[in-house]
Amino acid sequence: MRAIAFFLLAGASAAASAADVEAGKVKFDTCMGCHGIESYTNAYPTYDVPRVAGQHAAYLEAALKAYRSRERNHPTMISQAASLSDEDIADIAAFLAQAGQ
Amino acid sequence: MIRTKDSLRMSYRASVLLAATLLPLAVAAGDPIAGKEKSATCAACHGADGVSSAPTFPTLAGQHETYLVQSLKQYRDGSRKNAVMAPMAANLSDEDIADLAAFYARQKGPLKTVKY
Repeated sequence: MRAIAFFLLAGASAAASAADVEAGKVKFDTCMGCHGIESYTNAYPTYDVPRVAGQHAAYLEAALKAYRSRERNHPTMISQAASLSDEDIADIAAFLAQAGQ
Repeated sequence: MIRTKDSLRMSYRASVLLAATLLPLAVAAGDPIAGKEKSATCAACHGADGVSSAPTFPTLAGQHETYLVQSLKQYRDGSRKNAVMAPMAANLSDEDIADLAAFYARQKGPLKTVKY
């Protein structure tokens, strides 16, 4: 039982460390136009673009994948996420999660 | 001053405009203390102060208030689909949503605008 838990943990951390924070930072460059401006608002309806630095990587990955599959509906985010690979998404999420520290 | 029909119409228009400008402010003003009371259910996943311990649940502490309002309204109307959040948001009034958003936006957490 303990051995299984160990392998699961080891596997999970290996998968997490496979994401490349530096690559994520480069890939996030386009996103800075909205998510890098403190008071930036969505055009219609009007609300502040969410703060994403410091958010959990797993949540961010789920959000980007939901935009990519059009399950989550936001025209700008759908087009931004459309061309992202799973690796891109993991890299971006890893960069953002540590960007809050 | 002679009040012509036109000037009356103008002042009527001005007051309608003023009311329309103030209305969203009135709706948006949530009560963070009431929000804290209403957040008891949310705490199980999002943490007592909005910093969630499980990575699949987003941290809400310090998130933009207007974004939180938008998200809850989308869960409520079904335009944002999530099996867990849909029933949570279903019974929230606009006031509940405003209060919850006011509470979480004011909590200290790791969320920031991205800086290079």
